[in-house]
Amino acid sequence: MRRWIVAEFAAPETSLEAARRLRASGLTGLDLHSPFPIEGSDEALGLRPSPIPGAVLCGGLIGAGFGYWLQWFCNAHDFPINVGGRPLQSAPAFVPIVFELGVLFGSAAAFFGMFVAARLPRLHHPVFEADGFRSASVDRFWLSASLGPGDDPEHVRARLADLGALRVEIVPEENP
Amino acid sequence: MPGLADPLERDPVLATDRDDAALGDRLLGYVWQPPRRAWWAMFLLSASGVGLLGIAAVYTFGWGVGTWGVQIPVAWAFAITEFVWWIGIGHAGTLISAILLLFLQRWRTSINRFAETMTLFAVMCAGMFPVLHLGRPWFAYWLIPYPATMRVWPQFRSALVWDMFAVSTYFTVSLLFWYLGLVPDLAALRDASQRRWQRIAYGILALGWRGSARHWRHHRSAYLLLAGLATPLVVSVHTVVSMDFAISLVPGWHSTIFPPYFVAGAVFSGFALVATLIIPARRFLRLGEVITLRHLDNMCKVMLVMGWVVAYAYLVETFLAFYGGDRVEMQLAVDRVRGHYAVATWATVFCNVVVPQAFWSSRVRRSPIAVWIASILINVGMYLERYVIIVASLAHDFVPSAWRPFAPTWVDVSLYVGTLGFFFMMFLLAIKLLPIVPLTEIREMRHEVARAPELGVLAGSTEVSR
Repeated sequence: MRRWIVAEFAAPETSLEAARRLRASGLTGLDLHSPFPIEGSDEALGLRPSPIPGAVLCGGLIGAGFGYWLQWFCNAHDFPINVGGRPLQSAPAFVPIVFELGVLFGSAAAFFGMFVAARLPRLHHPVFEADGFRSASVDRFWLSASLGPGDDPEHVRARLADLGALRVEIVPEENP
Repeated sequence: MPGLADPLERDPVLATDRDDAALGDRLLGYVWQPPRRAWWAMFLLSASGVGLLGIAAVYTFGWGVGTWGVQIPVAWAFAITEFVWWIGIGHAGTLISAILLLFLQRWRTSINRFAETMTLFAVMCAGMFPVLHLGRPWFAYWLIPYPATMRVWPQFRSALVWDMFAVSTYFTVSLLFWYLGLVPDLAALRDASQRRWQRIAYGILALGWRGSARHWRHHRSAYLLLAGLATPLVVSVHTVVSMDFAISLVPGWHSTIFPPYFVAGAVFSGFALVATLIIPARRFLRLGEVITLRHLDNMCKVMLVMGWVVAYAYLVETFLAFYGGDRVEMQLAVDRVRGHYAVATWATVFCNVVVPQAFWSSRVRRSPIAVWIASILINVGMYLERYVIIVASLAHDFVPSAWRPFAPTWVDVSLYVGTLGFFFMMFLLAIKLLPIVPLTEIREMRHEVARAPELGVLAGSTEVSR
């Protein structure tokens, strides 16, 4: 059975330092929880850059391309109407919708991409079982780590206490 | 004095000495309290406006747009005026939340949720009018390019189709941006909730947000990119709205100044409505410590600048009518200031050009009641401006035999009052049920300043009590 260890810290710096130390000692599955983003948490946890910008670029280009194709298909290809001899494929008149659809698809990529990348929505998570974890959205900074069968929870608990944790708890993955 | 004080500014952006936990209790507390009697009174009043909207809409659908004051040549009147007015109001929300974010304007933090929420409801109100105005509203979906058995597609060279795409994109993007910013605050609300059903309801809305570093890095990136996308979008939306007019040949409409003129007017009226709403909300919800006089001061400065841009547009519009030398355009320019709509024209000039000049005085800018009155006058002025552009131009067309003044009917007025009721009802619900001040961003701002004294010049005092 997998277990999670969670520790509460009073300040973001101490939680960052604890994450750095634990990661250096080879513990994996570390995460930090805070009421607002902490500068330097990506480096402390060794996270790769977010893939969102790439997703937005792709979404925007696909949206703009689709916008142009849609207008060309409807007004120049599938049902051409000659309006006073104006060109069927009137690119300048297509610009606004190309732009709007580019923005729409790019924004959708940013929004939904964020939830996919963050693996949300996930309404329940073992860390919520820890007493007092509610303060992670108020004024406390929490560190969580998932422990494999090879990790000794008591050892990690002692290290966290040394690193300045206000309290440390162990929660099992599966709850009755 | 703790908080964020700029040595060059008299009022801090944040005037609170509470710590993070107490600030959260303060800013989320009103969600848990039962609504007060004043809230119910305002809610019932605005809900009855929604009832009026329903009656007028059913009457319009049943008997057609002939129940309105519209006729030929004035086929666009109240409905399109209100469409443009509401869309314009929405634009300040995006401006405050996106453009000021990109420019690192810290003062936006306390008011951005207000402005974004206002945007959403204003765009909903705006969206009703073109549909009501269709005459056959049940065919509204023909604007969407779907593979119909008739094989008929929308005409993409028409500004009205651009409008449909622009406004629906604008609404969708505003909604996504608003919700993305709201998720961490909904999680804060979930964690602060005392009752089980509240915890479940806000828990579902927060989508399981754990404030994890893995969430934050994607959230930050997505939020910034959405701001970057919303910034050109807001300019494009009102540009497209102005093209509904500018690409036609009607005198007074066919002008290249329309896009920038409309965008400036949109920002102007939007800031005015933010001020109109935020001043009473700040008082009733006692938000003075996060929405300070500094915010009012800054909003007034934006309104002053936009007032001058609009004044410039009025001047250039009139000048070009004579410089262009077209007889009909010249006649219209004279008709606006001396004809049937002269009162509306001069009231527009008074409200939009004369009233904002009061904002040169810092005493006015820092007096909530004065700002509130001025902001209402600016809203009225912006309504009249669109009314004059639309109705006075149409009523004074190329052929004198067709000239006909416009008079609204009770249905026109009821639809307008009804959307105001809808807007205020939604707004009252939002300030009762949602974190209307972005708590997460305020905490982050305080924290940043506490950790980085070199920001002192930008954001002032570094002593933030923890």
